[in-house]
Amino acid sequence: MTSSEIPGGTAYAAEAAIRPRRRRPFTFARLLRASAPYLLILPVVAVIAAILGYPLYYLARLSFQKYGLFELIAHHGTSVGWANYSSVLHDHVFWQVLVRTIVFTIANVALTIGIGTLLALLLTKVSSVVRILLTAGLVLAWSMPPVVAVQVWVWMTNTENGVLNYALTNLHVGDYAQHDWYASSFSQLSLTTSLVVWGAIPFVVVTVYAGLSQVSHELVEAAEIDGARAWRVFKDVTFPIVKPIFLILTSLSIIWDFGVFTQPFLLIDQTRINASNELMGIYLYEEGYVKTDFGRGAAISILMLLIVSVLSIFYVRKMVRTGDEAA
Amino acid sequence: MRVRLFAAAAVVLTLAVMASTASARTYRSGSAAASKITVWLQVDAQSGWPNLVAAANQEFESKHPGVNVDVQYQTWGDHLSKFDATLAGGNTPDVIEMGNTEMTKYMAANAFANLTSQKSSFPNSKNWLKGLAASGVYNGKTYGVPYYAGSRVVTYRSDLFAKAHAKVPTSLAQFTATAKKIGKQNNKKGFSPVYIAGTDWYIAMGFVYDYGGQIAKLKNGKWVGGLESKKAMAGLAAYKRFFNAASRASKTGVENRPQPYDVYSQGKAASIVGPGWFSCCVGKKYTKTTKQFVMPSHVKGQGMPGFLGGSDLAVPNGSNDKSLAADWIRIFTSTASERGLQAKGNIPNATNLLGKSVNERAAQRSWFVPTAKNWVNVENGNVLRTMLARILTGKASIKDAASFADSNIELTLNQ
Repeated sequence: MTSSEIPGGTAYAAEAAIRPRRRRPFTFARLLRASAPYLLILPVVAVIAAILGYPLYYLARLSFQKYGLFELIAHHGTSVGWANYSSVLHDHVFWQVLVRTIVFTIANVALTIGIGTLLALLLTKVSSVVRILLTAGLVLAWSMPPVVAVQVWVWMTNTENGVLNYALTNLHVGDYAQHDWYASSFSQLSLTTSLVVWGAIPFVVVTVYAGLSQVSHELVEAAEIDGARAWRVFKDVTFPIVKPIFLILTSLSIIWDFGVFTQPFLLIDQTRINASNELMGIYLYEEGYVKTDFGRGAAISILMLLIVSVLSIFYVRKMVRTGDEAA
Repeated sequence: MRVRLFAAAAVVLTLAVMASTASARTYRSGSAAASKITVWLQVDAQSGWPNLVAAANQEFESKHPGVNVDVQYQTWGDHLSKFDATLAGGNTPDVIEMGNTEMTKYMAANAFANLTSQKSSFPNSKNWLKGLAASGVYNGKTYGVPYYAGSRVVTYRSDLFAKAHAKVPTSLAQFTATAKKIGKQNNKKGFSPVYIAGTDWYIAMGFVYDYGGQIAKLKNGKWVGGLESKKAMAGLAAYKRFFNAASRASKTGVENRPQPYDVYSQGKAASIVGPGWFSCCVGKKYTKTTKQFVMPSHVKGQGMPGFLGGSDLAVPNGSNDKSLAADWIRIFTSTASERGLQAKGNIPNATNLLGKSVNERAAQRSWFVPTAKNWVNVENGNVLRTMLARILTGKASIKDAASFADSNIELTLNQ
């Protein structure tokens, strides 16, 4: 959508075209007015530079050094050029982890946004009592710290005494007595997915619902009168209006899910983590912290930063472009 | 309006991306004043013998008036990464408890103070348990003071053994036969005559050492994996046979999820293998009938070598007052204190204090991990667990799984 579509904008543009162009004299007041936005954003930039800028610089510097336990104690690393990067990029585990993490991210983001949107749409249809109950439930799920949620999942999926095996067996879904939910990498990552998606849905529902409440009824009604079915109304009327919200939610989810650490690390457990179930965040932790090779860990960190940036930029550009086309 | 929203989204994203990956650890509290020493002990002390810690602190504080002891309890899973962070930040504790398998890496990196010259001032230091004391020595210098050790024994229900007319087994074959008999008498689904989690490498490697194998050995300055040797593979095969005959636990399961004593206390196991203190938590119902014996070897009359777990106490080089720190260790490892640990089912740190408990008898034949500085990486990389899971599930032959583990071990240890 361009400014010409906004009624006020059109008027302003017309007025500007009529007025003769004239060079305004350079004054201090003008300079001040022009630089005002930059002055206003300056404190934020300064804080970000202090909080994130220095660690980032340090991280980048570390990634070009050999920095193990010995160097840590001596407080002095030795420069090794690109060796850390080349060792990571030549590690076949890194590539396996990368592919696995991308697949994991796509599955998690799709499930989170999909189920979240459906629940948000449900919220617009139900009575206010049900809506309040549902929202309260979602907020409770949201407010549960991940570490606690992991513990609950561990209990439910316990091989010997878990309620999941008990319930599935007694519901005659199959013989799940002593079924080990952590026996294969796929099963481990599926459980992680269920936990991550469960924890992420409330934020999506609340945000999308807030967006949906901005969609005016007249537009929806008009479309329905024109004979549009529910899916058509959502696709052509509702979705374009709340698209910016989906953009932010999806992109944030990509960033969170790509770098997810707490849930898989605690759920799969240190004793089960190996090259066949590592996600990027865990790979970074294992290589950097557990093996005490901080230089290599830093290199993985920087690579992760680049990958997430590329993923996000790709997505943002695509969304902006389709946004423009729609307008 | 829309454009601005997109711009805002872009800014939010940039920040989130940066924040998600740039969370460097930078906690640096002020350096401790000399009027306080910080001690890192494992939670085992907090749950098992807090009174011994309190008594040691009291004695220390009355000996050094004005100096406080700040004991901070740590967990095994993350205490090393926390310790690394303090090494970077320069606020290391004054005393740290280290697992005996964790010592070498840090001694090699010069993280600890050399205590060789004052070794004789530590109580019972002439009689320290050889295996445990060795874990605190690097290049002939002493860096770690033995704290306590623990061996692995079989905790069993004497009522179920009596019902099967079984005596305490004196050989692995006899134990296997007993297990089969008990299994037949209690053929509830999921009942284990001997509950062992599939990837419990502390138990599985006992079989390897029992058959004369070893995990790795040093040859001409290089580590060579030993699991593919004939003897080690015979041990692995024996482990697989015993597991299949006796344990209904998950073949890919880990020994702390669920805790074996929880399985036992719920009546789902006739016996469990693990540290002697497992007897603590067998449940009220079985407390009276629970007894322990030494895991038998395949050679009749011998015990199977058990993993000698244990802890050392060390003084990090960054300590503000190393002599105070050493003095706290002296008090905490006194004869009285070690006797207290013994009463809790642990093995005290010196031979002159040893008694005749099952735990202490089991320690007579023991094995220990290779003393390589990178060993802890093999442990945390779950190399042995992966091998055991592949062997038990049949995803790989013993030879293939062992050879894969060997190459992984060699790669890590020789780095």
